[in-house]
Amino acid sequence: METLQDPHPNSNLPMHCDLPMHCPLLFTSINRSLLCLLMLFSSATAQAAEHEFFETKIRPLLAEHCYSCHSGKSEKLQAGLYLDRADGLTQGGESGPAIVAGKPDESLLIRAVRYEENEMPPDGKLADAEIAALTKWVERGAKWPADQTNAKIANETGYDWNYFRNEHWSLQPITLPIPPTVNETDWPKDDIDQFVLAALESANLPPAKAASPQILARRIYLDLIGIPPTPNEVDEFVSAAAEGRQQAIADLVDNLLASPHYGERWGRHWLDVARYSDGYGGFLDNRANQHAWRYRDWVVKAFNNDQPYDQFVKAQIAGDLLGTQSDAIGTGFFALGPNYQSDGGDPDSVAQAKSETLDDRMDTLSRGFLALTVSCARCHDHKFDPIPQIDYYSLAGIFHNSGVRETPLVSDDIVKAYNDRQNEIKQREKQINELQKKAKQENRELSKSEQTQLEKWKVELDELRKSAPSKYPSAHALHDKGSSNLHVALRGNSRKPGEEAPRRFLEILSATERSPYSEGSGRIELANSIANASNPLTARVIVNRIWLQHFGKALVRSPSNFGSLGETPTHPLLLDWLAANFIESGWSIKTLHRQIMSSSTYQMSSQMNSDNFARDGDNRLIWRMNPRRMDVEAWRDSLLAVTGELDLTIGGPPLDNLSSTRRRTLYAKVSRNGDVFESDRFLRLFDFPLMRATVAQRPSSIVPQQFLFLMNSRFMVDRAEALATKLETAATNDDQRIELAYRLLFGRLPRANELELGRRFVSDNSSLKNPDENGDKLARFVQYAQVLLSSNEFMYVR
Amino acid sequence: MSHRAARPHRNPHPPVNRREMLQRIGAGFGSLGLAGMLAAEPAHATQAGSPLAPKAPHFAPKAKHVIQLFMPGGPSQVDTFDYKPQIDKHAGERPSIVNRKTLRNTKNGLFPSPFGFQQYGQSGKWVSDIFPHVAQHVDDLCFVHSMHTDIPEHAGAMLMMNLGHLQPSRPSMGSWLTYGLGTENQDLPGFIAMSPRAQPRGKLANWGNSFLPGAYAGTYVNIAEMKQDQILRDLKNNWLPRASQRQQADLLAKLNHLDLEQQQTDQQLEASIQAMEMAFRMQFAVPDVFDTTQETQTTLDMYGDSEYAKGCLLARRLVERGVRMVQLSHSIDGYDIAWDTGHGDIAGGHKRLAQACDQGIAALIKDLKQRGLFDSTLVIWGGEFGRAPTSEGQKGRDHDHYGFTVWMAGGGVKSGLSYGSTDEFGCTAVENRVHVHDLHATILHLMGLDHERLTYRYSGRDFRLTDVHGKVVHDIIA
Repeated sequence: METLQDPHPNSNLPMHCDLPMHCPLLFTSINRSLLCLLMLFSSATAQAAEHEFFETKIRPLLAEHCYSCHSGKSEKLQAGLYLDRADGLTQGGESGPAIVAGKPDESLLIRAVRYEENEMPPDGKLADAEIAALTKWVERGAKWPADQTNAKIANETGYDWNYFRNEHWSLQPITLPIPPTVNETDWPKDDIDQFVLAALESANLPPAKAASPQILARRIYLDLIGIPPTPNEVDEFVSAAAEGRQQAIADLVDNLLASPHYGERWGRHWLDVARYSDGYGGFLDNRANQHAWRYRDWVVKAFNNDQPYDQFVKAQIAGDLLGTQSDAIGTGFFALGPNYQSDGGDPDSVAQAKSETLDDRMDTLSRGFLALTVSCARCHDHKFDPIPQIDYYSLAGIFHNSGVRETPLVSDDIVKAYNDRQNEIKQREKQINELQKKAKQENRELSKSEQTQLEKWKVELDELRKSAPSKYPSAHALHDKGSSNLHVALRGNSRKPGEEAPRRFLEILSATERSPYSEGSGRIELANSIANASNPLTARVIVNRIWLQHFGKALVRSPSNFGSLGETPTHPLLLDWLAANFIESGWSIKTLHRQIMSSSTYQMSSQMNSDNFARDGDNRLIWRMNPRRMDVEAWRDSLLAVTGELDLTIGGPPLDNLSSTRRRTLYAKVSRNGDVFESDRFLRLFDFPLMRATVAQRPSSIVPQQFLFLMNSRFMVDRAEALATKLETAATNDDQRIELAYRLLFGRLPRANELELGRRFVSDNSSLKNPDENGDKLARFVQYAQVLLSSNEFMYVR
Repeated sequence: MSHRAARPHRNPHPPVNRREMLQRIGAGFGSLGLAGMLAAEPAHATQAGSPLAPKAPHFAPKAKHVIQLFMPGGPSQVDTFDYKPQIDKHAGERPSIVNRKTLRNTKNGLFPSPFGFQQYGQSGKWVSDIFPHVAQHVDDLCFVHSMHTDIPEHAGAMLMMNLGHLQPSRPSMGSWLTYGLGTENQDLPGFIAMSPRAQPRGKLANWGNSFLPGAYAGTYVNIAEMKQDQILRDLKNNWLPRASQRQQADLLAKLNHLDLEQQQTDQQLEASIQAMEMAFRMQFAVPDVFDTTQETQTTLDMYGDSEYAKGCLLARRLVERGVRMVQLSHSIDGYDIAWDTGHGDIAGGHKRLAQACDQGIAALIKDLKQRGLFDSTLVIWGGEFGRAPTSEGQKGRDHDHYGFTVWMAGGGVKSGLSYGSTDEFGCTAVENRVHVHDLHATILHLMGLDHERLTYRYSGRDFRLTDVHGKVVHDIIA
């Protein structure tokens, strides 16, 4: 079944491509999808390089210096010459063809820019380097990329709407594919496995064997709740698996999905997409969002309740318009973003601050929910995806009409009672002040009756304060404040308005007839356009994000970019199968977890297979589980869990210092720039991303500063002491203690050599022989515990 | 028992050599990593996998290190290095070319500099009397008098100078440099930012990594408060002497090696074993480099005893040991935009600020030359913008982003050159204008990097220090 195979099973990547190996930086300058393309079709290398050259050197140059007079967008076309399209160049204008491919000296365009004839551009000669680039381009054939590899990519004459509407993978309607047949019929446990195995079989890559129950237990616990299993929980699962592995897994998954800690784990993944922070964004955006945590807890609850994803999306875009106060909290998704100010009131800076704020909304909305980079259309039509600049301002207009405020989470009566009392208090304070001030102005003591009055008021004020209702809870939320349209900002400068942009949805995701949004800001209509089964992106994007968190690598490896420059799915039909079933299930994320985790694919070992690795080192075809370094949340929570210190309280205001609390890492206070709180420092050291923009996938870096923390921090020493104490009381001899440590930390017993290393270390007191010179301040077992807690095996999920 | 215990620990196809192994795993880690590792081989083979391992530049560099002497708040060009005698002749007048909108829209006339100017060196460069020490080195300096930037507000303009963007949402120049080039000493951070007492406004954004990997973040050091063993967080172990710590590190390395054997191949695991060793060495290398008591009295005397001078001396010690970039921001009185005292009082404010840095800067240049480091180190002096030649109030000057001066020295720039110019009153850059983006493009060029090719993919597109701007100013390159 040919059509069911993935289009590019790149199991045998060529190791040498034509790119110069002495120049590592060249690789960084080429986007990954292009790189991938290069590796797949090394013959296409030259083409791609031409394209890159054109897009970085030639097109910008032509656009900057020539298009005002020689393009479809010129107010008045000069000399009948178009320089924004391939045929324009070859056919030329009134003076004849602009170029002769391969012959710069005969090309009018080149002669003109050299000022040899028709001196162009008229307002000043191009720089030598620019002339050289144009000359080189003509010399090499003046290739216009529209007729090459990236034919679909937009050029100045407009987008190939036909291609995007009918061919680009992510924009096609989601249908339910039939799973392919496979040879090894014993392996698949469900449809997911058939898609994966079919691709592996066609590439002749054997899947890894099933993971051991011990490994699986640790993987499933960390995956679903972010806390490792206790030795007892591992034992229980191992014996249940001996009875019936698939049932044991299903039961464990059900149990953990019902745990309130599930929402803490998976809510955090969503908070990355929402670039959630407590504010404190620095000098242009320094507001503290003191109620931000209400949104965080709202997200956790939504996951715990398995709120259908379409409703979850709607509440975040337009929850304030849906009726309940709880839904309004969801709009924290936008309200908690930056609200830039200008620091001096310069009009350019004010306009810039406002448009930067809107850009945050555009970027988070479009990449977060749709994996489209709408922000790229802020200053010009999107270069690669069918997003004209006007679409940017159509969407931005919706948020231009949406304000941010603190919305009370209680009834109006309670708000009124609170405000009334506060007013009374202010009134009384004012009376007291005025009386005192009057006497002072008249330069006299208070009279006896005034004194009595004052005392009485003070007593009353005290009473009022004491019995005042406490401040009601609030959330940062959106509200509608108008229904006006924005104008296109020419070159992204909002002080240079172009045509009016009616508030409405993106053209590429709309039927041919688009009606403008008409209800208030338009957010409720926007919410319906996005959280919609007929939207080809919404469901695909979220199932891909869920897959990413289960496997460490997504099916579409650019989870927030499903456009032309994004990656194509490794398993397009599987992605559609997941998305179709997801919608069918009522957008249930818990159902999706169950489907994924009951598959053989998920349950594979992460064991290395050198042959497979040599052919598909990036594991694109999923021949094993990806071994993964924990994110900082799971790692820190695990440290506290294995030492028996973790405080599992759920929800509430955030905590400034992660080093001194035992609450889960989720509850850290986070500043937008990651530079304000002790908690920020802890998180940033272990790859917690900057919460300035939506995060598709956490990076995983290894830097020496992390080891300084492991070796020298108070936090690690505290954990080591707690672990040592726990081991000390739970077991009677060193061997038992070492064994218990391995069970607690790694979910397994130590191997003989590991036990021996441990024994030797804890009994070696050579460093204590001469206390004057040495002076360890930690017991040997504490030092040992610290080493185990710092180890790679503890930090990795396999 | 673990399922793994029964398996042989050996890779059935042990790599024949390092290159072959890298090729084998190359597909897995992307050609980016592969190319990076190959480029570093063989001299730095042991650091493979470290994101800070030295990387080959795009082309032969003129300089290897950058010392940025950053002057937050906006030093006035016409009171320092951009001599404009015409101001005196037209004092109090407001000719149309200086009648430009400033931040506070001041309307006053031309205001002569309260400082005298003398000519120095072979080049006969006019320098204000507040920089007598730096003036001795004018023949080593390359002045760019035609700088301009986008807005007249500190916050945005400082970010423009340090990260090429008006919002704090991009990586700093130092981060780009360490990302592009790695660093030469693996026991020290690759990028260090310093200032006495006050961090420049915007704080971390000025040396932050933003979306670049964490390894490229600048390490900030407060010169006034620094303790050598607390330059980095958790640099010092308060519980164990070195011998015991070494035993701990050895055990950790052994356990991690055993784990690596179980996994057979894993680049991340290998890298982490390297990183731990590096961290162990950093504990001793970092305090050492910040220990200025190792300097001779002659050297210490040459720099003088201001806090900024101490920073200059540390900057030399850092580049001497291979640190890629040092950003040394000026500050006195704990003010985060120190030169902004120019609003109210040029004569007093600028004089004190210059006094606090002049000798140190001159000593740094002299010292770099003495030690043969001058040619490989690019020194850059300047603020985020300049100040208007007209007055604000009685004796101050408002911001001027239309024209200002920076100077560079050392690594690959022409010496004794004054490039570009402002108008006759010093208000607006008119000849050979250089935008901050152009300055960045030029700095990267001097370091062997093409600013258009030094990119990082984030948010669905490739980002550059120079965004979509920047032209290398070839005329100032030696």
